[in-house]
Amino acid sequence: MLVDNEQILEALWETIYMTGVAFLFSLIIGFVLGLLLVVTRKGHLLENEPVSKVLNVIINIFRSVPFIILMVAIIPLTRIIVGTSIGTAAAIVPLVFYAGPYIARLIENSLLEVDKGVIEAAQAMGASPFQIVFRFLIPEALSSLVLALTIAIVGLIGASAMAGAIGGGGLGDLAITYGYQRFDTLVMFVTVAILVVLVQGVQSGGNLLSRRVRRR
Amino acid sequence: MIQFEGVTKTYQSGKQEIHALNGIDLTVETGEIFGVIGFSGAGKSSLIRTVNLLERPSSGHVLINGKDISTLSAKEIRKTRKDIGMIFQHFNLLNSKTVFHNVAMPLILANTPKNKIKEQVKELLDFVGLSDQATKYPDQLSGGQKQRIGIARALATNPSVLLCDEATSALDPQTTQSILELLRRINREYNITILLITHEMGVIREICDKVAVLEAGKVIEQGTVFEVFTNPQQPTTQRFVRSVMNDELPESLLKQLQNPSRKNSIYRIQFTGTSVGQPLMSRISRKYQLDLNVLFGNITELQGAPYGNLIVEFTGPAEEIKKALADIQEGNVNVEEVLNYAS
Repeated sequence: MLVDNEQILEALWETIYMTGVAFLFSLIIGFVLGLLLVVTRKGHLLENEPVSKVLNVIINIFRSVPFIILMVAIIPLTRIIVGTSIGTAAAIVPLVFYAGPYIARLIENSLLEVDKGVIEAAQAMGASPFQIVFRFLIPEALSSLVLALTIAIVGLIGASAMAGAIGGGGLGDLAITYGYQRFDTLVMFVTVAILVVLVQGVQSGGNLLSRRVRRR
Repeated sequence: MIQFEGVTKTYQSGKQEIHALNGIDLTVETGEIFGVIGFSGAGKSSLIRTVNLLERPSSGHVLINGKDISTLSAKEIRKTRKDIGMIFQHFNLLNSKTVFHNVAMPLILANTPKNKIKEQVKELLDFVGLSDQATKYPDQLSGGQKQRIGIARALATNPSVLLCDEATSALDPQTTQSILELLRRINREYNITILLITHEMGVIREICDKVAVLEAGKVIEQGTVFEVFTNPQQPTTQRFVRSVMNDELPESLLKQLQNPSRKNSIYRIQFTGTSVGQPLMSRISRKYQLDLNVLFGNITELQGAPYGNLIVEFTGPAEEIKKALADIQEGNVNVEEVLNYAS
């Protein structure tokens, strides 16, 4: 094997770091966008057709660009934000642009699953739109939101591996530079195995958490 | 008091305009239980939703205690809604929260102190008879229990009006009965005005003081439950009344009786109030020498007053039958012809 344990550990840490930070930022963006997508819908709390239409178009545009192209396409923006276009920090920017709109759609879906009757009951009680969102909509959707976000994290782990192609570091980088370009099958095998374990762990954790928040 | 003045509601469905409400004029007096009945699509659910502005009327006014609610600001509307409780056909409880939390919700929204919430929720759960279920979740409860939770929640803000949106339509007859009893208790003990919509005439008979029949977005008939049940005017109303007071003779029996050789006439005789208690039939039979055969009979209670309904076959000379009928009609009794051999 052309790499030692330390390199693998470092790559694992980079993957976790990239995924974690990217998830945090895309969660914030995705949450705001997803919530807006729901409440500006026709017949919803803050119905607003122009906002709803514009948001949908923007999100669809980002969702239709393949990640590998998105990564390259926003290099100038990445430079402005983190000062460089190579490295782990630089990889986080395209990851956020990739996962943010994705999470927005996932959150939109989860929130739309909430029974309309519950919202009606909340309105009948005299709840404000803010109260309806945070006291009714989100608690009722929480279990499904956790599962949706688990999917997003798994997607981000996959995407972060691709970020290795532009020198983003992490397990994907290791797999490409050593496993693919230098024909070290063992490195390829080890990195893939680590990714499998990582994804399994995240999914199990998500399932567990989702069950726990179903009733609180 | 809730007043509807020329309320209309029009929806745009594609290019088609749907008139859900077509000029509703109704007055619900303070402290009464007012029922609105209609088939599905008649506009009941739009009507009840205009009261707390879950739906805004396209034109016309809804006045609550004399105040036109459509002129209120968003904040004032929220305040008014706290004075109007609402319960739903499908309960609309939060499945992620306990029974306690569900009932506490309106109080939490109003920033009530925690210890006060505890006290009030306990009281409310006691009132609906579910104090031992506080830590359970809605999906662990039966339909009737869920509706009781819905009622407790609706009462949490001490409303003066309670809106019931098909509140018993998803429940079995026995549970319906117990929920209706609870609603009547709420009406009597707290003097809360209740406006309910339903497609079940039994619900109207059971607890309502007044009833309005809705068809195609219009009130086609209204009055006290007693008036409407004993003397329905419109075909739709008659159908509704018949659905709970089955006073029709079976077709086969009618055919058998339609034999000219029997020389019979069949009349429906309706007794109301004190006339129910009189031995009318035997008196008439003796006085006019007629054979009276009671084909159908029942007595129901409507708004606490007895109401009797008989279908009687008169056999004898036409002259005597005529005299007998005139005699019967002198009391507080209504006679209606079902079949007459002489005509």
